[in-house]
Amino acid sequence: MTGGHRRILVVEDDPETAGQLVESLTTSGYQVDLAASGNEALSRCAAGDYAVITMDRMLPDIDGIAVMRQLRDDGIAAPVLIVSALGEVDDRVRGLRAGGDDYLVKPFSFVELLARIEALGRRSDTIVKETILRVGDLAIDLVSRTASRRGNDIFLFPREFQLLEYLVRNEGRVVSRAMLLQHVWDLHFDPSTNIIDVYVGRVRRKVDGLQAYPLIHTVRGVGYSLRAPG
Amino acid sequence: MSGTLFVLLAKTLTSSTFRQALIAIAAFGMIASALFSYVFLSTSSYVRSRSDRGIMTEYSSLRSEYERSGRDGLIAQIQQRIADGNIANNVYMLADSSLAALAGNLREWPPTTTAAGGWIEFRASEATPNAASRPLVRAMLQTFPSGDHLLVGRDISDLDSFADQIKTAMISVAGLLLVIAGVASVLVTRRTVGRIESINATSRAIMQSGLDQRIPLRGTHDEWDRVAENLNLMLDRIETLMGEVRQVSDNVAHDLRTPLTRMRGRLEKAYHAQRIGGDDQALIGDTIADLDAVLRIFSSLTRIAQIGTQARKGAFRTVNLVEIAGEVVELYDAAAEQEGTRLTVVGDREVLVTGDRDLIFDAIANLVDNAIKHGGTGGQVVVANENIDGRPVISIADDGPGIPAHEYEQVFKRFYRLEHSRYTPGNGLGLSLVAAVARLHGARIEMLDNLPGLKLKLWFSAPIR
Repeated sequence: MTGGHRRILVVEDDPETAGQLVESLTTSGYQVDLAASGNEALSRCAAGDYAVITMDRMLPDIDGIAVMRQLRDDGIAAPVLIVSALGEVDDRVRGLRAGGDDYLVKPFSFVELLARIEALGRRSDTIVKETILRVGDLAIDLVSRTASRRGNDIFLFPREFQLLEYLVRNEGRVVSRAMLLQHVWDLHFDPSTNIIDVYVGRVRRKVDGLQAYPLIHTVRGVGYSLRAPG
Repeated sequence: MSGTLFVLLAKTLTSSTFRQALIAIAAFGMIASALFSYVFLSTSSYVRSRSDRGIMTEYSSLRSEYERSGRDGLIAQIQQRIADGNIANNVYMLADSSLAALAGNLREWPPTTTAAGGWIEFRASEATPNAASRPLVRAMLQTFPSGDHLLVGRDISDLDSFADQIKTAMISVAGLLLVIAGVASVLVTRRTVGRIESINATSRAIMQSGLDQRIPLRGTHDEWDRVAENLNLMLDRIETLMGEVRQVSDNVAHDLRTPLTRMRGRLEKAYHAQRIGGDDQALIGDTIADLDAVLRIFSSLTRIAQIGTQARKGAFRTVNLVEIAGEVVELYDAAAEQEGTRLTVVGDREVLVTGDRDLIFDAIANLVDNAIKHGGTGGQVVVANENIDGRPVISIADDGPGIPAHEYEQVFKRFYRLEHSRYTPGNGLGLSLVAAVARLHGARIEMLDNLPGLKLKLWFSAPIR
């Protein structure tokens, strides 16, 4: 996908979960190292340069967040994805997003994990400064907050535009429902209904209805992906 | 400060201890006044009967003088007595049948209805030597067979003022006793109310913010300290038990979560494997979907439990209900459109509460979700934000079939489903979450018949500024 190195450090103490993580990430084309404790994570980070670090919140020796602090103090800037049990999602975990890091609540789907890692890894890439983003025949104007396909304006509510913008910015990548909730609505929980699907459905009708080809695709069991054909 | 004093005083005056003290004071006061009245009445009647006996003796002696020596003898006798300074308090008068004075120290016959004879009391028309003002006279009068009238009496002004003195003394003592008893009962009650208030305040704080607080002891080792000690012991027990329960459920949660994560991982791997056929893939896909449903119930339960521990109060800040409601409505706009439901926000522009935005959002979202689902196709759902008497209130109303009143309480139980909604999607945890969020925020839930439909109101407490 986008350039840059693709080395990932997985910090996880449960051997089977760790094994599954390593396998899924390797299949997706990442180079994966494994650390089973906080101290091991610290020494591995000192030796290697990682694109993303996934870290279990509950480690046998040091709290995942504390390990992350230590890494920052050591001058290691790689984005961290904290994997946390729901009961451990507190203010410190929720505050991660502000610092450019992310968190994921257990149990998670690996597709969701991959989507998060993709999004985190991209952060270190170049930031696009354009005011008009294009995917296929769709153009969205970030200044006037309008969207059009083949020159025909699409009427969108502000929130719908935000949703479309987020999908466009993550063109070709899988965006999970939870990611949409977090980035478009700033919600850190799952409303446990199909409300997001209904909402995306409406945006999809506006964007893809009566068009030559669809742009918004459903990714079964995970979320959505916006991409041009071919 | 004067406000709290006023409140304490008001609580003192309305407390049951004070009421009982008032009843006791009233009973005590009645007995005391009965006793004082008895003493007063018997004293004054004793004094009066003594003076009456004196008058009687004097009268009998004069009457015998009249019978012995006739009118002239009596006149001489009366004049002699008046001249005697020792009995200056005595009043005499002898008058003829036309009531013209013959002898005595009264200027005129008193106005009287007692024609034949008997006791009278009157104010003499002139001052006697011993009294400055017109003296009060009690006298016996009698008409002799010859038609002459004899009056023998005594100036009882002193007697009267003596009775007045006793009366004044008794009333002042009774009044003083009542005042002292009243003040004492206010002081005692205030002390009691003060202690009970401190116990009440701690109890309220414990209900609102958690089990870590204890009722302060005064170190006086009195009955209040013993009550506080016992309540504190009880709180210790409850805290230990709650901790144990939480520990157990945390362990269960953790122990379940890990194998579930693995299970889902394996299924996903199998789902994406190349070698399996379409049927098997569909089977695995359905299993993953079911597992996800289990996980969602599981995380809802964990979430409700987590809200229950009140750990999130640290994240409380002032938020505008109107903004949150607006965002919820925006999120559910598409779902309402799909159902053909009209979803609107009405009310004030700013309704501030102190709370956790995510949780309030979740609660309102659940209520709006329910209203859209149960309101039925083509219905109307109204979200209203108001400040009612300084309290922030949000209400969510639909015009669907509603809920029978006897089930109002039930719907907040975990996994509770109404009979007719058993086959609609949902897990029966939504309202439990709303209840947990309301509890955390100290908000009261009120359910009303919207005629038709259901109106659910959340009464928050006024925001902390």
